[in-house]
Amino acid sequence: MPLTAPLRILTEDQIQAIHQAALGLLQRTGIVVKEARARRYFRQAGASVDESSGRVRLPPDVVEAALKLAPDSFVVHARVPDRSVEVSYRRMHVEPMIGRLNILDHLTHQRRRTSLQDVANLVRVADALEHYHLLHSGAIMPSIEGVPLHAAHAHGYLASVSNTGKVVKGSPRGRAIAEDCIRMAAVVAGGEDALRQRPNIFTTVNPVTPLQHDEGQTEGLIEYASFGLPIDVTSEPQAGATSPVTLAGLLAQQTADVISGITLAQLVRPGTPVWYGTCGAIMDMKVGRIALGAVEAGLINAASAQIAAFYGIPCRGTGSTTDSKALDMQAGYEKAITLFMAALGGINCLFYPGTMESALTISLESLVVDHELCGMAYRALRGIQVNADTLAAPLIEAVGPGGNFLGERHTLKFLRQEQFLPTLSNRQTREDWAERTGSATTWDQAHTEVERILATHTPPPLDPQVQTELERIVREVEARGAVARALA
Amino acid sequence: MAEHEAIIERMRDSILEADDDEAVAAAEAALAAGMDPLAALEAGFSEPIRELGEAFNRLEIFLPQLVLSARTMQAGLKVLERALTTAAREAARKGVVVIGTVEGDIHDIGKTIVVAMLRSAGYEVHDLGTDVPLPQFINVAEQTHADIIGMSALLSTTMLRQRDLLELLQLKGIRDKYFVIVGGAPATQAWADSIGANAFARDAHEAVLCLNARARNVTSRA
Repeated sequence: MPLTAPLRILTEDQIQAIHQAALGLLQRTGIVVKEARARRYFRQAGASVDESSGRVRLPPDVVEAALKLAPDSFVVHARVPDRSVEVSYRRMHVEPMIGRLNILDHLTHQRRRTSLQDVANLVRVADALEHYHLLHSGAIMPSIEGVPLHAAHAHGYLASVSNTGKVVKGSPRGRAIAEDCIRMAAVVAGGEDALRQRPNIFTTVNPVTPLQHDEGQTEGLIEYASFGLPIDVTSEPQAGATSPVTLAGLLAQQTADVISGITLAQLVRPGTPVWYGTCGAIMDMKVGRIALGAVEAGLINAASAQIAAFYGIPCRGTGSTTDSKALDMQAGYEKAITLFMAALGGINCLFYPGTMESALTISLESLVVDHELCGMAYRALRGIQVNADTLAAPLIEAVGPGGNFLGERHTLKFLRQEQFLPTLSNRQTREDWAERTGSATTWDQAHTEVERILATHTPPPLDPQVQTELERIVREVEARGAVARALA
Repeated sequence: MAEHEAIIERMRDSILEADDDEAVAAAEAALAAGMDPLAALEAGFSEPIRELGEAFNRLEIFLPQLVLSARTMQAGLKVLERALTTAAREAARKGVVVIGTVEGDIHDIGKTIVVAMLRSAGYEVHDLGTDVPLPQFINVAEQTHADIIGMSALLSTTMLRQRDLLELLQLKGIRDKYFVIVGGAPATQAWADSIGANAFARDAHEAVLCLNARARNVTSRA
């Protein structure tokens, strides 16, 4: 269903001003590109490149030509075909978070390091929840508790892809890691040609704002782009700390970061599918930390979606974020505000559900709660249909003054499309709530749902040969690290 | 004395207003008026910056004010330092810190806060920036006669560099010259213990408390 984004933060003139400011930054200030091959691509396209500093200054026409090459829609293929995702700047999909350094243990309520078993559980729960489409994964985690550091991406990818039929994300962090993830995705796809034809993996590349592309992730960008695999190029400015405190300045700088990365992806392989990505937020200047649950993050997301739509490129943003350490009321209102501003603003890939504590921590219960919020966001995006059937004038006439609609076929017929049916929200009387649920809180309800999914949901298994081959690659990656250590 | 008090007041205001030019002018006025540079430094610069640091820790002021005021103090300090005797300079400083984000890591927001807080607490801080190669930590520490090395790392991969630096100090036989304090998102007390660092600090405030405790220790032993 095409998306209508009712929340408009910027006027057309303001979008144009931000775009021109970004082009001006890329032309005059330029960006630092730490990867040599990337600088070569830029130089060949007509950029001025200073090899000693890595500074690349991009003429506006080079950027604008590249932006035109980026598709406005593309498909990311899941290994279970009906889970494939048709990305478009007119649709919204949700990407729950999976891999974080910490997890709020769902039994002890204590924060601890995330293990491989946690990754498997998180993916399994996300696999069971219908509004989750593109899955972040263990492959992205720089470290996983109990796993050798150099093989975390391979273990993380396997633990993820074997627990879901949905699309799984890969890591871009350096050439070797990117190659491993792509190699494993090719095994799942049925070979490299099949992977090129039907991409089943995507990644995130983060420019280091302001105006830098680091070496490792740029290597990753080149690897993914050369296979034509989808990449979200996402800048993460914190207003007042790593960008101007003014949100207009943040958007201009972010746009320069992102469109220079998108330009590189198009120079590597014209037509590479990309998202314009934001993880923009503010720094809380009293504590000196990022505030991902801030209302300004909602504004940044909605504005970013408009800028991306101006380019005709899908937008990846954040929503359902919170800085709270507990699943409490702060978590509830911050998640709702950020998710709804992003969704109603037109974000196409909504990332970060499942997180808490400024996304330092993940939680199974949060995945379930946020999924409910996503359901409400989809309902809000469907808006209100107005036609003869829904206006229902003959029905109102038939019921007449003082009547009710409970016994009408019209009510039963339209009920499901008109009303979102929550699974967690309790709308019973206080007495029923106490007697039937034991006065269960949101956390309790979510916890019960997590337990139910873990006990009953079986993800579609991998083909045994694929499973064996992926396990072989994981062992190979582990051994490679052992050799590197022996040689060092 | 009224003149001296007025100059101290100007110095204090320059810090609170984060006015670099005024800090330099007030410091020069203090020297021209024949004031004791060490006393002027303490009352005019150190005290207000310490107050700001404490106010920030109580969530009463905004971080940019602390960062800007700490920079103003650096500007004024340069003027007074010219007049300080070596002994007075030693007495004025609680410690010399060489700090940076390790090689491979290009994030420095957290470290920027630590630097501002340490300066506001009276430490001489040499900020090496981000993506700092290990030998540079040691070279600058040796050149500046530092006694403290601080290392930040934001990724579990780059965090390993903290361990490498400690090994390098051992190899060079200068491990005992430095108090090594580590921090950053993936770092923990257990990590600091496992690599043999002297201390771990979760945040800027804890870093100041930790180094202050060390300073008291050093003084009481001396």
